[in-house]
Amino acid sequence: MTPIAFGVLHLRRGAVLRFLLWSLPEALPAAMLGVAVARSVDHFLAGRSLVGLAWLAAIIPVSLCSAVGARQVLRGLGEMVEPMRDELVRRVVGSSLARALDGQADDGAVARLTRQVEIVRDSFAGLLMVTRDFVVGVVGVLLGLLALSPWVMLFVGPPFLLGVAGFVASLGLSARRQRAAVLAEERLAATASTVVAGARDAIACGASGHAAAMVAGPIEDQAAAERALSWTAVVRTLCFAVGGWLPLIALLMAVPWLTGRGLTPGEVLGGLTYVLFGLQPAMRKLMGGLGGAGLRYTVTLGRLLEQRVTPPAAVKGAGTRLEARHVTFAYGPHSEPVFRDLSLAVGEGAHLAVIGPSGIGKSTLAMVLCGLRHPSSGEVVVADRVLIPQEAYVFSATVRENLAYLRPGADDALLNAAAAAVGAGTLVEELGGLDAVVEPGRLSAGQRQLIALARAYLSSAPIVILDEATCHLDPATEAVAEQAFARRPGGLIVIAHRLSSALRAKRILVLDGAGAQLGDHAGLLERSALYRELISSLAHEPPGSPRSGSASPSWSGSVTGGSGPSPD
Amino acid sequence: MNGGTGRVEIARSRRQLMLVACSGAIGTFASLALPMALGRAIDGNGLALAVGLIAVSIASDLFDSFATTAYAANAAARLRHALIRQILSVSPHRLLGFPTGDLVSRVSGQASEAAQADFSRISLALGVLPPVGSLIVLSIMDWRLGVAFLAGVGGVTLVLRSFSRRAEQASAGYQVAQSGIAARLTEAMTGARTIAAAGTYEAERERVLRPLEELRAQGMRMWQVLARSTAQGAVVGPLVLVVVMAAGGLLLASHDLTPGDLFAAGRYAVIGAGLGALTGVLGGLARARSATSRINAVLQVPPLSYGTLSLPDGPGRLEFDGVSVDGVLRGVTFAVPGGSSAAVVGRSGSGKSVLAFLAARLRDPDGGTVLLDGVPLPSVSEGELRRAVGCAFEKPVLLGGTVSDAIGLGREHVGATRAATAVHAHDFVVRLPHGYDTPLADAPMSGGEAQRLGLARAWDASRLLVLDDATSSLDMVTEMRIGEALLAASRTRLIITHRITTAERADLVVWLDGGTVRAVGSHAALWDEPAYRAVFQ
Repeated sequence: MTPIAFGVLHLRRGAVLRFLLWSLPEALPAAMLGVAVARSVDHFLAGRSLVGLAWLAAIIPVSLCSAVGARQVLRGLGEMVEPMRDELVRRVVGSSLARALDGQADDGAVARLTRQVEIVRDSFAGLLMVTRDFVVGVVGVLLGLLALSPWVMLFVGPPFLLGVAGFVASLGLSARRQRAAVLAEERLAATASTVVAGARDAIACGASGHAAAMVAGPIEDQAAAERALSWTAVVRTLCFAVGGWLPLIALLMAVPWLTGRGLTPGEVLGGLTYVLFGLQPAMRKLMGGLGGAGLRYTVTLGRLLEQRVTPPAAVKGAGTRLEARHVTFAYGPHSEPVFRDLSLAVGEGAHLAVIGPSGIGKSTLAMVLCGLRHPSSGEVVVADRVLIPQEAYVFSATVRENLAYLRPGADDALLNAAAAAVGAGTLVEELGGLDAVVEPGRLSAGQRQLIALARAYLSSAPIVILDEATCHLDPATEAVAEQAFARRPGGLIVIAHRLSSALRAKRILVLDGAGAQLGDHAGLLERSALYRELISSLAHEPPGSPRSGSASPSWSGSVTGGSGPSPD
Repeated sequence: MNGGTGRVEIARSRRQLMLVACSGAIGTFASLALPMALGRAIDGNGLALAVGLIAVSIASDLFDSFATTAYAANAAARLRHALIRQILSVSPHRLLGFPTGDLVSRVSGQASEAAQADFSRISLALGVLPPVGSLIVLSIMDWRLGVAFLAGVGGVTLVLRSFSRRAEQASAGYQVAQSGIAARLTEAMTGARTIAAAGTYEAERERVLRPLEELRAQGMRMWQVLARSTAQGAVVGPLVLVVVMAAGGLLLASHDLTPGDLFAAGRYAVIGAGLGALTGVLGGLARARSATSRINAVLQVPPLSYGTLSLPDGPGRLEFDGVSVDGVLRGVTFAVPGGSSAAVVGRSGSGKSVLAFLAARLRDPDGGTVLLDGVPLPSVSEGELRRAVGCAFEKPVLLGGTVSDAIGLGREHVGATRAATAVHAHDFVVRLPHGYDTPLADAPMSGGEAQRLGLARAWDASRLLVLDDATSSLDMVTEMRIGEALLAASRTRLIITHRITTAERADLVVWLDGGTVRAVGSHAALWDEPAYRAVFQ
């Protein structure tokens, strides 16, 4: 959809009508100005000063009348703009959320929601007003000129129309160039941002020149886009010369001819007044408005509309048995698979741990098993399951809303029991009970994980997948939580963060670059070199190691960098 | 040569600026004289003069509209190149006072604003002329016209005074509702994986949009306030013109003015009322000046200078000789024999990272010397130094279009695949959608993966590798393997670390404590000291 179509589609008929009708009084001062000047001058010249003054003074009540209209017009404008802004906010929220769910990195969501939506709101209003002002102004002048002397129209009309037509015709070009300039500016900011952030790295690698060259292109492109834009300013100035100044010159040159046809000096002055005080400002406003607000509107809204809202297809598995058959997954057609020909099944009573070095694709596997990523080949039978990722999601709402997220309507006894089971009972009390409002920012990472665990425990899904969902808990608390899940009816998959949690599982899947091995502890010690290596490296990590603030070593490195080239 | 072209460019831009100023001045005078000429033309003499003045002011407008934009574009580009070159040539610690976002805003937005400085000054000077000139001309035509004009302007100012406050209140409520939505959205986006897995997209969207109704209500309030002020504006709009025309009309009746004069008076009244627009120009000038001074603040930082010497043949012996950095390090003296590895340990805040920056010559000490194979680092030429010394960081920032670029960084002697293989990054790189050709933007990486690419980037240094906590996010197995690869490479290694295993493997441990070297020795020898063991707690 084009920005213009979007704007027009969201106009309410009632608001438009009100907007237009209340504009009529506003044409009055524009229509009257020249006539008032003409009549007053003629009266002054004839020595009837009081009548002359009365004509001028008449402008004031007419302005008052137009002020009443202006007030209603602005309200109508609000009724036209606000619904459109609402819809835009809905779209931005919907598309940003959808993109995030699709795993796309996106740091522009807030800027789109606050800055860009506001630019569209302001410029849409500006656009409507400026167009209306122009129409009202021109209609007013037209009426005034007709009342004054139709002959004047003959000299004023054609050049004015020509200038306006030329300007309107040049709008497309201006819009394209403006858009190019905005894009160039964004590219420049993006490149500069990386290079500035990486200045230390560039200097250390002796690549300062290379890094400067990375920005040099965008700088020059941006300057070229700005220079290209200056030509559109030239075109606009030319159009104004034709539409704004030519009528004045034509009228001046025609003065002897017009006086010959009986025009009074006052009427000549009135005609000139219409051009200089009516048409010129109207045209100037239109140019500034369409050139400024109009371009901002089309460019900004155009970019917002590019963000498509494609709500993610909800993958709701069914059944109690999750199965992967000969599954291979790769991020792209040209990339090495993350895992190859993997088969496993998890049903009632199963407890599987997945281990492997960081970045090997453990989280990716969790996403594939949940049906959130499609395997390149093979088949996944997605069960009714719940996935709790490493970064626990707690939102600003009551504890109850947070806990009952996956089981709406659960009663207090059930909520409290679940919290107690995973070891979050004390936390719920500390927070002030189920009705207390949670501020996620004030919770520690571990406290957030406890809430997410209680939530998963409550879920009616038979299969639970914990993707390092306990990594911020100390080993004792982790054990309590995992044991609770192990006792829970259904199957459990734990992407393990610590050796201890892997050893609690009945079966262990070892992922490494080459392939995957499935077995129990004893069997893997025998068959998997990586497993032996992992076990020994963990066993030999001295207890004093500063990284394990906890007593149990981990293999997933820092808590932030746990898992694969997946967008986690 | 570079300086030569720079001077030529600046001279050319001066000439352009002079042209713009002259054309602007001519245009302004023409438009100021125009009402008078129009008045004459109306009275029947001097049509040619009026047409001539119109032509002049159009020509000046045409020239300005092109030249100002083009000039500002070039000026902004010059500022940007200079800023980027500067940022890439000063010691990083000198820019610590400027957060990245702040520096980027100087390069993008503020360079444009600063480029406007020259014009703002010109248009301010020229902008004063029409309103002030109008008042003067009016007063010369007849002093009573001047008085009428001032009275009209006074009336308008009084009426327009009253609005701005109410508008501010309404917009504050609007912004609160708006940030409410933004906060909920940000929160929901951090829970993307939970929401995707739970299939609760619709519910989340509605939860985020809950403050929308309030937003609408606040928005409508803003329009109501605006409606009131616009109405007031519509009343007072024609006031000045009416008052001046009335005064002029009376003078016309008493034959003190001609009809042409009256028309000119009306025109001057409108131009004169444009004085308010000058506040906009003043604001622009203030912005341009502050942008200029913010850019200069960056440009005035002294750059890191390099010498001209080459390094003699040598194994890469690194030597700190009485090195101090104000407030951080005092009298640090130690030597790492060529080809061996030294771990630098110490509690946080003991100056380890500053030591790494000194060894990699990302900064110079305030006292003492850092030498590589006997040559003080500042004497070595840039190319020679950066080929010899590589540095990897805890949080590397990757630069370049693709993963392969990010490792090679345009340096001919660096082979991306070879370096990536050496640091065990090859395995995950080939799993990216397009392997080594994957655009960095499409390759979101974990901390450990980024660290390995950062390491690969520094791997080809010929004499000295400085690792500033550069493997802290790696799992044990990978770190062990990289440790082995490091051992095999015959280069001097200076490794800042928190890990006990790394200290164990190093030939030498430099133990920093409160900015001084507490001891230098093997890990085994130092382990007996309780204070040393406490470093790793």
